[in-house]
Amino acid sequence: MDMKQLITRARRGLREEMRLYLVAVSSLAVAFLCLGGALLALTNLSAVARAWGQSSRMTVYLRDGAEAEDVAQLRALVEGLAEVRAVEHLSSEDARAQFLEHSDVEAGLAALPAEVFPASLEITLAQDTGAPRAARIAERIAQFRSVSDVETYRGWFSRLESLLQAGRAIAGALALLVALCVLAVIGNTIRLAVARRREEIEVMKLCGATDEFVRGPFVLEGSFQGFMSALLAVLLLMGGFLLVRDELDATVAALTGVRAAFLHPAALVGLTLGGAAVGAIGSALSLRRYMAV
Amino acid sequence: MRSFDPDDSNVVRPFPFFRAGVRADPSAANRPILVLEDVYKYFRADKPTLRGLNLTVERGEFLFVTGPSGAGKSTLLQLIYRKHTVEEGRILFCGRDIARLTSKSIPYLRRNLGVVFQDFKVVQHWTVFENVAIALEILDMPQRLVRSRVVETLERVGLGGRGGDRTSNLSGGEQQRVAVARAIVTEPALILADEPTGNLDPHLAIDILTLFEEVNETGTTVIFATHDHSLISKRDHRIISIEDGRVSEARRGLRSWSARDIISAADTKRGSGVHKHPVAV
Ligand SMILES: Nc1ncnc2c1ncn2[C@@H]1O[C@H](COP(=O)(O)OP(=O)(O)OP(=O)(O)O)[C@@H](O)[C@H]1O
Ligand SMILES: [Mg+2]
Repeated sequence: MDMKQLITRARRGLREEMRLYLVAVSSLAVAFLCLGGALLALTNLSAVARAWGQSSRMTVYLRDGAEAEDVAQLRALVEGLAEVRAVEHLSSEDARAQFLEHSDVEAGLAALPAEVFPASLEITLAQDTGAPRAARIAERIAQFRSVSDVETYRGWFSRLESLLQAGRAIAGALALLVALCVLAVIGNTIRLAVARRREEIEVMKLCGATDEFVRGPFVLEGSFQGFMSALLAVLLLMGGFLLVRDELDATVAALTGVRAAFLHPAALVGLTLGGAAVGAIGSALSLRRYMAV
Repeated sequence: MRSFDPDDSNVVRPFPFFRAGVRADPSAANRPILVLEDVYKYFRADKPTLRGLNLTVERGEFLFVTGPSGAGKSTLLQLIYRKHTVEEGRILFCGRDIARLTSKSIPYLRRNLGVVFQDFKVVQHWTVFENVAIALEILDMPQRLVRSRVVETLERVGLGGRGGDRTSNLSGGEQQRVAVARAIVTEPALILADEPTGNLDPHLAIDILTLFEEVNETGTTVIFATHDHSLISKRDHRIISIEDGRVSEARRGLRSWSARDIISAADTKRGSGVHKHPVAV
């Protein structure tokens, strides 16, 4: 079949069914927007998880009234470990100042006494320290008299990991749902288009057109709708992202230490080409059912 | 009329010998273009529409098919372009039994036929050009060729310069000319016309009939179904009437029948002489 002719006929079809197709594209764009939004959230969440997984930090909370001598001894021991890169002693006063600096809280909180904030040793481990080794170090430190608690942040990390896993499952389900939506909406749109173009289909069949010749433009039109829906969603998502990015970087990024990122180019290509492919499939399935030619 | 170049490799036609004036073997040109043998067609088991219909149509003939309403004129034509399939019997088109064609082959059969209807069956929102060009586009003909062929054919049917018009803006008679142009633009061997003048005024009907006769003059076989006796009586073509599901020969066409006699007489003298056109006497 002549590709140029096929495209010419599909373009004629798109022009004729413009309104019908616009409705389909805009409703499918909403579906793609949901999927794109979920993927965007997932992208950033996993970036945070990766950053946290790499930063091997540990906070050793000291008992109130711990002897300065004991603390110094503990510090010397910790600094002697091969995995430890740096140790910083944070007094209650320091902790209070740091907290107040990072959160713009009201004067009421600022009035809190320094004792509310426990003094601590902030330990930075080497990047390649494995989780089991870090846990063993924490265990050893916890046995000291002057230590009240050791926070390895592993708990947070594993909580984030399970959140990510759930997020991936939701995104997967959402992708499936969107694909079904595209199949249903484009299938239905093509069914309507076939009904409206009965006359020309009959003419073509009379002149000896093969089924492929008649169906070609419809498949192309369905594919184009899927592509346009995904593209529209991606553009909307990008516009929204650019609008709020600075805001996000000022707040969330300061907390998590990770700057907001947009979808990976591969994900963008996947979304749009996936939309085109599913649109073509929806159209072809619909033609099989409704075009008894 | 410029004839279809049989060696045009741009045009895909699995049955090239179905074309007007082109033959698979020399003897095919002398054989009838269409033979129906004992054709039965039932839409309802108790009341067959066609029962044991026999008909032979020679190459280059102009044939009127008439008969009362509901006799099966349309059914007969529909069997030839394979809208329906026979229940029994054979339909030989250029020696091939088209009743046995698989559904995959039907498009290729139709590329060798031109069909015209009472209700025109032109696409109203397409231009005149698009309505005619579609028949050639289906044959995968290059756009440049399509353009020149369509322009030429529109001239032939008296619609020169109207290619760009939206078809719905044309009068009934003009729309039927578009349909005729679409049917003949591929230069098929056989044209089937099912009451093509049924929706037209008497003087327009004569114009359209004349158009079909001009097509017939170039060697294309025409089967023209009508129950308009005023139209039939103005011409001396062969007429068959369908009654009780069979053919009754109402009149042997003066021109085509005598022409055939001359050809066969010449053939017996000269061996395998091939005549595309019936010779008028
Ligand atoms: N698709 C169909 N399903 C059922 N019956 C049909 C069908 N097509 C035709 N018939 C029946 O076959 C018979 C012949 O119909 P056909 O249309 O061939 O008649 P016709 O000679 O063309 O009549 P007219 O002059 O009115 O056009 C009629 O009785 C009709 O009801
Ligand atoms: Mg009829």
